[in-house]
Amino acid sequence: MRSRDGVGYVAVALVVAPVVAGGLYSAAASFGLAGAGATGFSVARISAVLTDPSTWRSVMWTLCIAGTATIIATVAAMLVGVRVQGSRVGQWLATASLAVPHIAASLAALTLLGQSGLLSRLAFAAGLTSQPADFPAMVYDRRGVALIVAFAWKEFPFLVLTAVAVLATRNAHLTEVAHTHGADARAVMRRITMPLLWRGIAPAVIAAFAYLIGQYEMAVVLAPSDPLPLSVLTYERAVDSNLAHRGEAHVLGFLALLLTGALVLWHERSRRVAERTLL
Amino acid sequence: MITSPSAITERHSRSGTPASRPLLVGLAFVSLSPVLLLALRATGAAWRYPAILPSQRGVDALIAGLRGPTLVQALGTSVLLAAMTGVLGTAFGFVAGRALVRATASVRRFAAVAAFLPVVAPPIALGVGVQVLALRAGVGGGLTGVLLAHLVPAAGYLTLYFLGVLGAYDLSMEDEARTLGATPWQCFIRVTLPTLRPRLIEALLLGALVSWGQLALTLLVGGGVVRTLPVELLAFVRAGDDRLGAAAAIVLTILPALALSMLQRGAKRTGAVT
Repeated sequence: MRSRDGVGYVAVALVVAPVVAGGLYSAAASFGLAGAGATGFSVARISAVLTDPSTWRSVMWTLCIAGTATIIATVAAMLVGVRVQGSRVGQWLATASLAVPHIAASLAALTLLGQSGLLSRLAFAAGLTSQPADFPAMVYDRRGVALIVAFAWKEFPFLVLTAVAVLATRNAHLTEVAHTHGADARAVMRRITMPLLWRGIAPAVIAAFAYLIGQYEMAVVLAPSDPLPLSVLTYERAVDSNLAHRGEAHVLGFLALLLTGALVLWHERSRRVAERTLL
Repeated sequence: MITSPSAITERHSRSGTPASRPLLVGLAFVSLSPVLLLALRATGAAWRYPAILPSQRGVDALIAGLRGPTLVQALGTSVLLAAMTGVLGTAFGFVAGRALVRATASVRRFAAVAAFLPVVAPPIALGVGVQVLALRAGVGGGLTGVLLAHLVPAAGYLTLYFLGVLGAYDLSMEDEARTLGATPWQCFIRVTLPTLRPRLIEALLLGALVSWGQLALTLLVGGGVVRTLPVELLAFVRAGDDRLGAAAAIVLTILPALALSMLQRGAKRTGAVT
């Protein structure tokens, strides 16, 4: 068994090697030990990034937008999941948008929600506005409405799929017992189905949130230039013509990897809780 | 009031409300209208504000644009990268999955957590490190470097996929074939491949899909030299050419739509989807 474990460990090592190697390189570059403009061990790069207000504006804005979109997608997926669990057509319709790549979805959001987009034209036709500028800015705007809508739209099908899978494997005995004790359908939904569904779907919600924090394809098309989403800020630093700024990209990348690592651990803990609850 | 359990089971076999017609219409609108909007934008030659619909239909000009060298080359590069990522990612995930299902439960649990990291790690954060490694290896700014970068998340996805698939696979069939004198190669060709063929095809599609929509890793490691369909789409959007951008978006959506319908059909055949 020990030699089989050895092969297993080698397989794991190969899967995570690029992430670990990239993370270690970014850590070394963060301390000025590697990369363009390396000056020897120094905390100057880390200090420059962490004391720059634009970094924290970017981090907080990214967390808020990703968090809001995750909450919207989760609530919608839970409500829709319980209603389409027995309907193939419903499940197909709810998950059809999985096929649309993120960059394509971002262009659709731009065409729909931009100030000269379809909604703005409909508002003009209804006599609510007289020019594009009268329509509320949702794209490139600090409130990030278009980005939240696009994020939620893309995460919704993934969470519906998870919700349907959780509902299919839940312990039906609890529902039977509740009905036996006189609980009506609404009480069963509120007290049993939804809490169980939430515990089962929680790992996927954490994964969706982690994914949205680093999402680039939609952010680069729909987000404002100030504050920049973390992924766009990191990319801009990575390709900056000023070599000193490229080191800052490693600091930002390393921070993002640490954040992701924490979310992966949270995801694992949540998954184990869900397994214990649902079995 | 006490009700008999069998009656309850019959009545409440699904505690959810059945999908109503308004819900289905709403889902159809939410899921499909953005794609229809892209199709409308792609075929509308002129769509000036405040017109609600394009005033001129320009399919001919659109086809000419799609046949242009930029999009054709980008499509070729994307297909090549997706195919290579699918094949190599599947080979890697299969080998890793086989090694892991034979390992102890604690190693499998650790592997599942570890393989999840490249799946959710932000591509930009991943790309910043991978870009330097690719440059050091002499493959940065080229197709090989981008392929290796796409393989990082794909290997994570496919290792997780094969951990699930091979966990339910009966390895004793292979052991019996070996007992009857089959060589490891014969055993792989005559037992493993035929049994797992549908799962391997699904894995190829999954790996290809991971590569198909990648933008951040392609931009960082490809340095703007490797022009895939997502890279060209972004260039169209930035240049204000929404029409060609929408056409590229439709082309970009067709392959995943076909792949997902194949995956769903396969899942239904095997009973994975009810």
